[in-house]
Amino acid sequence: MEMDQLRKTAAEIVSRDDVKYLIGWKQGTFGYRIAPSFVEDASGAAELLFSPLCTANLATYLRLVETLPVPRGQEADTRKVALMVKGCDSRAVAQLVVEKGISRDQVVVIGCPCPGVVDVALLARKYPETEIPAELKWNGSGFTLVRSGEEIKLAREEVLAEKCRLCRYPNPVISDIMLGEQVIPWEPSADSGVAEVEKKDYAGRWAYWEDQFSKCVRCYSCRNVCPLCYCQDCILDRLNPTWVNRAVNFSENTAFHIARAFHLVGRCIECGECERVCPANIPLGRLNRKLAREVRDKYGFEPGADPEAEPFQASYKPDDPEDFIL
Amino acid sequence: MSAMLLNKEKWPDFIGKLADKKLWVPQADGDAMRFAPIAEGAALPLEFSNTRVPPKQVVFPQTETLYRFQLGQEEMEQPQLEEEILLLGVRPCDARAMEIVEKLFRWDVDDPYYLKRRALTTVVGLACNEPCVNCFCPSVGGGPASTEGLDLLMIDLGEKYLLEPVTAKGVDLLAAVKEFLDEAGTDAVKQKEQVISASMQKIKRSVDTEGIPKGLPGLWEDSLWQRVSASCLGCGTCTYLCPTCHCFDIQDETEGFEARRCRMWDSCMFKEYTLHTSGHNTRPTRRERTRNRINHKYSYYVDKFDVIACVGCGRCINLCPVNIDIIEVLRQVKEAL
Repeated sequence: MEMDQLRKTAAEIVSRDDVKYLIGWKQGTFGYRIAPSFVEDASGAAELLFSPLCTANLATYLRLVETLPVPRGQEADTRKVALMVKGCDSRAVAQLVVEKGISRDQVVVIGCPCPGVVDVALLARKYPETEIPAELKWNGSGFTLVRSGEEIKLAREEVLAEKCRLCRYPNPVISDIMLGEQVIPWEPSADSGVAEVEKKDYAGRWAYWEDQFSKCVRCYSCRNVCPLCYCQDCILDRLNPTWVNRAVNFSENTAFHIARAFHLVGRCIECGECERVCPANIPLGRLNRKLAREVRDKYGFEPGADPEAEPFQASYKPDDPEDFIL
Repeated sequence: MSAMLLNKEKWPDFIGKLADKKLWVPQADGDAMRFAPIAEGAALPLEFSNTRVPPKQVVFPQTETLYRFQLGQEEMEQPQLEEEILLLGVRPCDARAMEIVEKLFRWDVDDPYYLKRRALTTVVGLACNEPCVNCFCPSVGGGPASTEGLDLLMIDLGEKYLLEPVTAKGVDLLAAVKEFLDEAGTDAVKQKEQVISASMQKIKRSVDTEGIPKGLPGLWEDSLWQRVSASCLGCGTCTYLCPTCHCFDIQDETEGFEARRCRMWDSCMFKEYTLHTSGHNTRPTRRERTRNRINHKYSYYVDKFDVIACVGCGRCINLCPVNIDIIEVLRQVKEAL
């Protein structure tokens, strides 16, 4: 994708009367960081970019926005929100449409076909971040890192994010405007992360998750970053009754993570954001991908693949499998 | 006792001699480091930039039981704090943070829990030879070899550690292990100066705080708050991993007929933090919550305790999922003044 084309298109979109703002990516303040950008005018549009560092799924902002009650005599701002999406992010938008979390006509979806983004932590381990923002580009076979005037070629496998190795939807499934050429999907690799846990016996799995969940500090960044965790009244915030205690220990942390995983069954679109943002390095993706695979294998349902689908947890077919029900 | 030298080969003996206290040390957890009680025979990696969760978790545990009680009984049982703790490998910024937070816990009422734990804890610092990319401690009154809040400072000189006692506790600690130590000569002191000045050179980011504490409240309705908070997810990463954040909640938790009153970390970035019973929220959006976080650290705390409640450790910058960078926020504040 050409940056000029992106910026020109974005400037046109934000100048429309029916668009409130555009949410995209811009260069961050240091190292390999990218910051979400809320663009309202041409100068903001000029800062937008799309690169292999754009890991964040911006679809989460569609439901995260907090608005104050409209003062008497004024009308609510009902203009559309424009949103830049990669393939995985577009599935979140589609799933939100399926669940009626958002209305399709309220969003201008700007599709960005994506050859795969990098795992920033992995990249930073190999090439430590500096205070000066660096640039990363796709170069056909892998990535080119540009920092302090120096160009470093990186093999794709070296720094590709795990979610991208497993990706089956590099091209946006819905869009109003598509930027750049479609990407040819690649053969997803086997899910070694889930396999590693699956090969343990029950006691081993319990011990594994006990170790992981014990590290949780309950910052709720996984919940807040998740585009599909948008309950107005979350079970975790409830105090009366207190479904999940505020105490931070293995038992309560487990209640939190299992509750979240189950609420995402048939809804998680595997964007990997929960795992990326976790300050405690808990491999939450393994939990969610395992459940997603169960849904796919048993029911043939793929959340966010079809904006016209019926929601998985709210639909029933007479021939749904039931052989696993005790 | 003056500064001493410890040969790194004698490190295991040194540790062994300190076994009368509960020892908390930084330990590797995949990519990240965390403070944990030392396990038998565990390696002691002391080459790391900093832990993700600051050592405040030792003196101010994330969840602390204040007392236990039972249905139908009038007595309460209060956990007794007696165990002496030795915190080893604390970065100077985190030790300084403990000193800053103590001012709050000594304010109108002495907080018995924090102060007791603080008194039971000996803090052995480790000067920073390799600051992280977002360290800015010199801008807020600290430095890679600052001794505030420490009982003893260790400086890595390659093959040896230079040990400088700061308090009486530090002197006692050195006296207990003196058989493994050598007197430090002027060479070592010179070497220390070189190491620290090299470290200072590696700190690239900075904040100009001049005028910020006085000026911040005047920017209450400034558009910058909307700008910097637009992408905020409202998670607790910045506050929970902040060594100076000290807000807590108190809850009674029951299990059958047993119950306990406990306090746990809370975060001003959560919506429910200021949610009143009536349903009214005094900080209704992330704009107000972000504004409060910055004001609390850089204005209210200065007003009350004459010190900025930020030690420049860079954790909130390193770990914010959406690159909300306090250095950039403060730059915008400065611009708006």
